[in-house]
Amino acid sequence: MNRGSAPPVRHGLARLAVAVLLCYAAVALGLGYWQGLQAQALTNDPGNPLVAALRDGPRGRILDARGTVLAQDVTVGGVRVRRYPHPAAEPAVGYWSPTLGSSGLEHTYDADLSGLAGTSPVDELLRKFGASTASPLDVVTSLDMRLQADAVKLLGKQKGAIVALDPTTGRVLALASTPSFDPDRVVAPGTGPAYMAGLSAPGNASPLLDRATQGLYTPGSVFKMVTAIAGIGSGAITGATTYPDQPGEERSGFVVDGFKVVDGHHDFTGDTALDFVQATEVSCNIYFAHVGLATGAGALRDWARRLGFEAAIPFDLPTAVSQVTSGGGPLDGFVDDVELANAAYGQGTTAVTPLQMALVAATIADGGTLMRPTLVDTVRSPDGTVVQHTEPQVWQQVLSGAQDAVLRAAMTGAVESAWGRPFAGSAAIPGVQTAGKTGTAQLGGSGEPHAWFIGFAPAAAPRIAVAVIIEQGGHGGEVAAPLGGQLMGDWLRLAP
Amino acid sequence: MIRPSLAGIHPRPRGRETTLLALAAAALLTGWVSLATTQAGRLSAGDPHLLVIYLVAAAVIHVLFVVTGRRTDQVLFPAVVLLGGISLLFMARLPPSLVTQDAGPAGILTLAPLQLVWLVLSLSTIGGLAILVRNDTWLRNYKYSWAAAGVTLLVLVFLFGDEVNGVRLTLRVGPLAGQPSELLKIILVVFLAGYLAENRALLAATSLRVGPLDLPPLAYLLPMLAMWGIALAVVVVQRDLGAALLFFAVFLGLLYVATQRTSFVALGLLLAAVGSVFLYAVEPTVQVRVAIWLDPFAQALGSGFQIVRGLYAFGRGGLLGTGLGAGLPSPDGTLAVPALATDYVFAGVAEELGAAGAIALIGLYLVIAERGLRIAARGADDFRALLAAGLTLVLVLQAALIMAGDLKLVPLTGVTLPFVAYGGSSLLGSGICVGLLMALSDAGVEAPAPPQALTRGERLRARGRGVAGRFERAVR
Amino acid sequence: MSAFEILVWILRLAFLGLLYLFLAVLARGLLRDLRATTARTTRAPGMLVVMAAPPGVPAVGATMPLETITTLGRDADNVIVVDDQFASTHHARLTFRGRVWYLEDLGSTNGTRLNGRPVEGAVAVGFGDEIAVGETRFRLEPASA
Repeated sequence: MNRGSAPPVRHGLARLAVAVLLCYAAVALGLGYWQGLQAQALTNDPGNPLVAALRDGPRGRILDARGTVLAQDVTVGGVRVRRYPHPAAEPAVGYWSPTLGSSGLEHTYDADLSGLAGTSPVDELLRKFGASTASPLDVVTSLDMRLQADAVKLLGKQKGAIVALDPTTGRVLALASTPSFDPDRVVAPGTGPAYMAGLSAPGNASPLLDRATQGLYTPGSVFKMVTAIAGIGSGAITGATTYPDQPGEERSGFVVDGFKVVDGHHDFTGDTALDFVQATEVSCNIYFAHVGLATGAGALRDWARRLGFEAAIPFDLPTAVSQVTSGGGPLDGFVDDVELANAAYGQGTTAVTPLQMALVAATIADGGTLMRPTLVDTVRSPDGTVVQHTEPQVWQQVLSGAQDAVLRAAMTGAVESAWGRPFAGSAAIPGVQTAGKTGTAQLGGSGEPHAWFIGFAPAAAPRIAVAVIIEQGGHGGEVAAPLGGQLMGDWLRLAP
Repeated sequence: MIRPSLAGIHPRPRGRETTLLALAAAALLTGWVSLATTQAGRLSAGDPHLLVIYLVAAAVIHVLFVVTGRRTDQVLFPAVVLLGGISLLFMARLPPSLVTQDAGPAGILTLAPLQLVWLVLSLSTIGGLAILVRNDTWLRNYKYSWAAAGVTLLVLVFLFGDEVNGVRLTLRVGPLAGQPSELLKIILVVFLAGYLAENRALLAATSLRVGPLDLPPLAYLLPMLAMWGIALAVVVVQRDLGAALLFFAVFLGLLYVATQRTSFVALGLLLAAVGSVFLYAVEPTVQVRVAIWLDPFAQALGSGFQIVRGLYAFGRGGLLGTGLGAGLPSPDGTLAVPALATDYVFAGVAEELGAAGAIALIGLYLVIAERGLRIAARGADDFRALLAAGLTLVLVLQAALIMAGDLKLVPLTGVTLPFVAYGGSSLLGSGICVGLLMALSDAGVEAPAPPQALTRGERLRARGRGVAGRFERAVR
Repeated sequence: MSAFEILVWILRLAFLGLLYLFLAVLARGLLRDLRATTARTTRAPGMLVVMAAPPGVPAVGATMPLETITTLGRDADNVIVVDDQFASTHHARLTFRGRVWYLEDLGSTNGTRLNGRPVEGAVAVGFGDEIAVGETRFRLEPASA
């Protein structure tokens, strides 16, 4: 019986009931989390046996912008096999194998291609009521296979990459990286693993690496356009800025904190203090070193970030991060003015991807507006219903049109003008005003420098912007610029 | 004219129980048809004899309740029947070869028939206890004897038990095997209820101040802690962490209800934290459990496999589930989720019935909680109240613990989902809890009667009790 | 979607629906109990004395304490269980409101009578009045101290 002095048991029971209720509320919340919020993510997880069960199911196709099939299922002897009619579309399209995994767009859009991703919400609901749970979708890319094949042919047996895009929309028209691989051999059931092992063997020039989006290279003089954007954008310089000491420094070298910046090709500029356009035409290191110092480390990095540096570029394929400096130094990341000066003309610890440099060219081409790069136009069901459509999107307004005009003029001069022609003239497209900039990136040591070219055409109303790099190819003007010009010219003929 | 009846037995209608059982039967039969249709590919009722036997058993026990006329709770039994029915449906859907038992002349029994046998035994236990248990003196007055019996049982398991997966839980006597930890939980509750009822006023009123906490006076705290500590130590040695956690939670719950001193609970939680840290540092299996709880995907192919697969099952279920019979495929009789019939049965049910079904399951356990705590609140005295509360906690906290474990809210422990998971010991233990709860819920039973003149039979029995009683007094 | 798929969906939804129907019926009863329980915490000032009953429980002369809401009937659920074959499962209800006892018939087969007259709706009952449920008769008295 009760002994009076303790509170009645009933009150304790009431509170106990609340505690029990709270426990179950937590369980219910957990249920909601895993069965509601995370349900899609769990189903799409590659380790999910449900997904494994669907791997024997049909897979959607990958197409180029004109409908050319780049990847599809075919049935060979009763067995479903993935086929890639155009190996030149590698590594952008990638491969998909049930045993070896996936890469490229096959990987990024795996959920859509295998049919696990939902389509419209109504379709999702109906799908819950239907027996089949997978509806594979087709992925339509922005690539144009004709241009892509052209780019691969131009690269030939060299190690390098080409990125070509439409500067007004950001659509990537060609993404080539050589040497590449044959995806049909990767997914072949018998010989695939051996072929893959061979590809990954060291000393094999890494054909699996997508140099266009993930190769990091010293840019050399093509980086001067970044410095230029920073200088003009921040107001440190204008098109008319000159440095009176510059002609003298061409002979003696421009000394920055004990380091001598040199140039060796001003025999014909003489004692003229170059303005911005002229300096671009002859690719004057000393001028741009001055520009870099005048702009300052912080502003240089700031403007570079607006172009996409120092972060992975959001794209349909994985991208590496381009950098202006490896960082850690006291001068806004730079070690000292010497590094800043070197970075200003694309040496030092600068490292860029071809995609990044193509975006720089595209920005200048599009009047200072940087459009978001895209590789996929639409995702649609096989009967044509569009599930997802990519609209061109402004990523950054880097420069105003007025500011950009002088950059455009400079790059046009670099290819077309009397002073520019000896350097980048090989990029000129017959009958079309072409703009561009070459780069020859010294690597230190005794190896050949990287050959770079970035450009766009026609200069007044550009329809294509490119970045070309040949690894250790030599002189930019001799090796990379002709490829860039050829490619742009071919595009203008293909798509007038 | 009602025919003259035995003392205390009057047939009385139990309308609510009848309605609920009818609904439960309708639901279960629909579920069976759903399962059979999905498996057969066309409208089919399959072979429903298992479900029919189950429902007939439930009906028979219901009729017995009506005939004996005790005014016991009318909701607990249908809720249990529904839970057991869902279990039967699920076991019928799993590969039958998962568990086999040679039942001699009855042939070889597989998963679903075995579960049916245990379910019927469990329901019979509920029926038996609900009808026959009329007074609680055998529980109330012999708490130390019960405690001693419990400890003995533990020691027996420790010495003679079978080791399965590194955990010694099973005691085998001839052809029968059982997990005494189920009984132990009930024994612990009986002891605590008795002890706390007797001493709660003193425990609540006087205290020992240690820093900011109030401790109960040592003389009263020690026997409790000793009992709990022995149980815990042996359980931990057996590595049955789930039971240890459950013991502890029930202990704290009852302590709070009896004394309503939050400082005691705080102290208890502190001890638990200390104990957990100690266990984590010392026991590698605990470390593994915590690691796969925090990030099972990092070891998705190794020790985290079960948890990851369980989560996939939840994800696949979504809101409405995949439908009975359409869960993750089980090729070659191996399960897509390990231990789908025991540890992960909640995940399996959630996969096939969706969040909607899983929440209904939660609802059923909440119903059991509500009824149990209501029975406790209306208990004639403290002992009854505490006993009912303790039995309820054993059922309800165990369910919450394994559900939370399956959902990766807490580390996975080995406790089973009462009435739904496969396992004879679990079903019997849960059945005893519900049976006792129903017995305690009889609205027509008064508080323990004052002593009266004893018949001869009673006097003999009293002498036997005297021996046990002397033991009780000695302990005290 | 084929006819078979529709069928399977109907069966699945029916199963879930019946589960929830079970819970709903249960919940309705629980809510009623809850309302009754909060009222039940106070014992009400009144009791029933059994005047006449068929042999068995309740015994003649027994006193049954009343709660604020007291149900009478044959079902085991009731506060006062009347084991009378002429009583319905849920026969009548005595409620203490304000300071007056009210008797209502809950739709029983044979009706409830107050002092011999059939009860319609809620009728006030005073101490000393006789309530008849089936063959069992009770008298309302003030509660003993």
